[in-house]
Amino acid sequence: MVRHDVVVVGAGVAGMRAAIEASRYGADVGVVSKLHPTRSHSGAAEGGINAALGNASEDSPEQHTFFTVKGSDYLGDQDAIAVMCEEGPGDIYELEHMGCIFSRTPDGKIAQRPFGAGGAPRTCYAADITGHVLLHVLYEQLVKSEVTVYEEWFALDLVMDGERCVGLTAWDLVHGGVQGVEAGAVVLATGGLGRMYRGTTNAYACTGDGMSMAWRAGVPLKDMEFMQFHPTTLKANGVLITEGCRGEGGYLRNAEGDRFMFKYAPNAGELASRDVVSRSEQTEIDEGRGVDGCVLLDLTHLGAKKITTVLHGSRELAMDYAGVDPIEEPIPVRPGSHYHMGGVDTDVWGRTVMPGLYAAGECACVSVHGANRLGGNSLLETVVFGRRAGAAAAQDVRSNGSGGVFSPSAVRVAERRIAQLLYNFDGVRPHVIRERLADTMYENAGIFRTAEKLEQCATDIAELRERFRDGMGIVIQDKSRTFNSDLVQALELGSMLQMADCLVTGAVARTESRGAHSRLDHPDRDDENWLRHTLTTYDDGQVALDYKPVTITEFEPAVRTY
Amino acid sequence: MEFTLKIERYDPDTDQRRLQEFTVDAPETATLLDVLDVVKDTVDGSVTYRKSCRMAVCGSCGMRMDGAAVLACKTPMAPLAEAGRVPVISPMGNLPVIKDLVVDMAPFWDKFKAVKPWLEEDDAPPVKEWRVQQEELDRIMKEALCIQCGCCVSECNSMEADPDFLGPAALAKAQRFVGDVRDRDRTERLRTLNGPHGVWDCTRCYFCNQRCPKGVDPRDAIAKLGAEIYSEGMLSDKGARHAQVFDVSTRTTGYLLETALVPYTDPLKAMDVKFALNLARAGKVPNPLKPHRAKKLDEVRKLHKLLKTQEAAARDDRRAGVSIDREEPTE
Amino acid sequence: MKSSYAYYPGCLASLSQKELDTSTRAIAEKLGFELVEIPGFTCCGAGDVHEARPEYYLHLNARILGQAEQLGQDTLLTICNVCTLNLRQADIKLKTDADLRERVNANLRDVGAASYEGGVEVRHLLWEIAEGDGYEKLKQIAEKPLTGVKIAPFYGCQILRPSKLLGFEDPDRPQSLERIIEACGAEPVDYPSKIKCCGFPIVLAREEVALGELIQPLAEAKDAGADAMVTPCPLCHLSLDAWQGKASREADMEFDLPIFHLAQLVGAAAGLTYDELLFKRHVTKTYPATDKIYAAGD
Repeated sequence: MVRHDVVVVGAGVAGMRAAIEASRYGADVGVVSKLHPTRSHSGAAEGGINAALGNASEDSPEQHTFFTVKGSDYLGDQDAIAVMCEEGPGDIYELEHMGCIFSRTPDGKIAQRPFGAGGAPRTCYAADITGHVLLHVLYEQLVKSEVTVYEEWFALDLVMDGERCVGLTAWDLVHGGVQGVEAGAVVLATGGLGRMYRGTTNAYACTGDGMSMAWRAGVPLKDMEFMQFHPTTLKANGVLITEGCRGEGGYLRNAEGDRFMFKYAPNAGELASRDVVSRSEQTEIDEGRGVDGCVLLDLTHLGAKKITTVLHGSRELAMDYAGVDPIEEPIPVRPGSHYHMGGVDTDVWGRTVMPGLYAAGECACVSVHGANRLGGNSLLETVVFGRRAGAAAAQDVRSNGSGGVFSPSAVRVAERRIAQLLYNFDGVRPHVIRERLADTMYENAGIFRTAEKLEQCATDIAELRERFRDGMGIVIQDKSRTFNSDLVQALELGSMLQMADCLVTGAVARTESRGAHSRLDHPDRDDENWLRHTLTTYDDGQVALDYKPVTITEFEPAVRTY
Repeated sequence: MEFTLKIERYDPDTDQRRLQEFTVDAPETATLLDVLDVVKDTVDGSVTYRKSCRMAVCGSCGMRMDGAAVLACKTPMAPLAEAGRVPVISPMGNLPVIKDLVVDMAPFWDKFKAVKPWLEEDDAPPVKEWRVQQEELDRIMKEALCIQCGCCVSECNSMEADPDFLGPAALAKAQRFVGDVRDRDRTERLRTLNGPHGVWDCTRCYFCNQRCPKGVDPRDAIAKLGAEIYSEGMLSDKGARHAQVFDVSTRTTGYLLETALVPYTDPLKAMDVKFALNLARAGKVPNPLKPHRAKKLDEVRKLHKLLKTQEAAARDDRRAGVSIDREEPTE
Repeated sequence: MKSSYAYYPGCLASLSQKELDTSTRAIAEKLGFELVEIPGFTCCGAGDVHEARPEYYLHLNARILGQAEQLGQDTLLTICNVCTLNLRQADIKLKTDADLRERVNANLRDVGAASYEGGVEVRHLLWEIAEGDGYEKLKQIAEKPLTGVKIAPFYGCQILRPSKLLGFEDPDRPQSLERIIEACGAEPVDYPSKIKCCGFPIVLAREEVALGELIQPLAEAKDAGADAMVTPCPLCHLSLDAWQGKASREADMEFDLPIFHLAQLVGAAAGLTYDELLFKRHVTKTYPATDKIYAAGD
């Protein structure tokens, strides 16, 4: 049993930023993470982080806000977006002072490149390894702050005293055993859930664990049906090739060599928003103008110098995982599941409806991305709202004290459940269910959706959840308590099944097309009925739906073209 | 495609080690990590290794293949299968094994923390970014690529002999700050690194450069630290004095002045009479009074002097901070 | 067939490791390699100048390369791992970065030294006789096969790693020494540490660490039944030979393992005598193995 004022779950950029901020407020902070912090998937972010610094052209937070609202297909909450865009520059300067090696303009300022649908060159970057650089800089600051990190502890369940969250239980992967983690306030920063899809840019660790913990504890999840498909991922294993490639001037071509994007987005071309580009690519592929299930990302005209400096990482990925040197030939790419706009419903301070529980980063939904996130806005969200959630959690503890009683029985219950899982000998191996889930999500809840497909997906998920039986339908072959990754993968599968259910339930209900949720049977946006957030809540193991209004301040919904 | 590999299993409960062979089917594009996943999913769920990003950025899956540290996710398997090779997969070296291919990274991170791995700057609230030229940042770009996977440490020959050696990963991290013009702690850092288990422990085996999956070239980073220490005239360590003998003797004789090497690097060692006699008996102690001198020595002497001047000028440029300035608050 | 080289013996072979220079010249004659002297060559700076003063190191090596070029030679023959890496690294830098080459050349001209235009390749003796014509020639001159002698190959580091600068063979599974040992009629002995470090670069600054490294190959080769060890590097040789006694005391093991220079091994197989190859200049006595060698030939 350990105790801290503030416990952050997850140690990517959002989690570490929250921990550092809470610690600055004088809180005693602990971080629980199933991975060592530098193994987190924030490190895979490549292209950059947006903020209206105005270093590359005239820019303003208002501009940034507008393009983010438009990009969100007007589903983003405009008050939250304004907060992010106004505070963004300060956070960038702070990151730079922490040591982030942002690429520079000739006069030594932070350089900025254009990203899709941004309206201005606003994306700050460190070559094409921005997430890696940020993640490591924040880990450096975390080490400096002397926050306690519980590495390779897998968070199991939130623990409540009445209505209030008072901590969580976690499985100590290295040593085995359930640990009670008592907290004045808990910040969830556990990242996304892309692994439920076949063909994803996400790491194996992106399994929606934090969202599912919150959901099981009765906290509503928001806009779960919105999954972003990134236009440029590698065929073999889904690895991301950054939007920065197009930001630096790369072309998308079809089998005939045409730069097809101008057909779909006459003004923005390759730099339209991600939902638009992915749909266009898929249309080209479906209509027979693809190359082996892909389109071509052509960088050859950028020249070796640019490619080997600011796109060095992308070149390496293309060579390692596609066998293609982008200096010489185009990279075959296709859309792949990338970023989940939905998540734990929070306000602009990361607060959830549950006292003592906060969330930030991809696992949260503030919402700043609405129905479609702009490239470069996710890293920004993690630092702005990670910082805010950390501050709010620390202040919460300061004013409310410990908040409640952590009942030790929670640990015993969790121990018993793990023991049952380990000593179950009857069922299938987890991968059987995991692969089936990934297939149906890809086939039926992908870029283009229909009622028929989504209902098929819902049926499949129900069947798989039934087979999984909360873990009692699968066999964990590793019976040891030391570093049992077989067990952890089974627990992750449980999270994914629940979150897939939420995602698809929301998607079936939303009979319109908005941002990344594209219904062939309801091709138009329907502001009258659907300009509202979906809430999915826990109802005795099943998913219940609710809705809440979108905050609109300045920008009335308008037709969205690029 | 069919893949066969042998995995070194270690069971911490029984303290037993064994090699286990597996043959599985996987796509032709499969990496070592993909093959391990098929083994774990379909043959034996207890086979244990770390993984996460599968794109060579998270640094989780360092392990050895036929004795050489690799990232499993960056290692294609088809060429081996085609060559009929059955690789042995084992945990990384120089770190304690927890289970199968999983090592205890705690000693690794302790060394990371020991180099004070964060930028030291003043506490004034940031109003704007530091103005830094791209070339200045390029100097530390290679070190900044490091993903802390441990492949270099796994193979470090010096660390095998001195487990307390800070090692290639931590030293590359140190250089990332020493080389950062924004850092205010350079001299203090160099003083710490110029000591026991520091820079001069490196035996230049170049295994780190060879193994690094990200092109960090940790040995080169260590050399950069050595150069910084040397340029500061910090000669307290035997390693720095050893270097000085080479530096000076190329000027004085054109060759290494072997007879100066031992007494100057380590005067105590010069008293090792038995050792010296053995060398002398084999004819390996040249006459110190008649050193071998290179011809055209004047060229090298001039070069030595010219470069000293140029090096000093470059250092002054950097020290004066010509390429860095902080914007004043605008309000 | 390649027959003439700019010959760069480096410091050690010119000084304390004189036997290496002598035996190299002796086998070169047998092999039909003409070794062209480089007047006024200096030390390459070893790892030390390379580390402490990288700019000076680059100029020192550029000067040596320029001198070789001025002789009209396109290949610089080295007989030391450290010289090989130093010269190759400088050469590659200068060849790939024209601006750098121009800056270095301006400095060289300034002091009256030969500038370097990038027309030389640096090759170690090992590489010249491990394959191709050199290997064929080696087989021809190895008239006195060292039958029954077990030789442990010790590569050392800087002839293998980093392979992007050296690149002659697979740095983890090198075979060149084995091929040469076989061509000499001896039997190569395999052991894991053959590609590891001998500890030499830090043997004065960190003797304990260096000895820890040195013990491994000695103990493993001995265990594998080696009569002697052969190395292409005079620094490895010095470490393995001169520090062997200390390593032996540190490990509390009797090694008594004779250490041969590559050129001595080839020379013995080519019929050169014990005296011609200066075996007497070794700290660790060579006779158990050299007796076997010279008996094998009788």
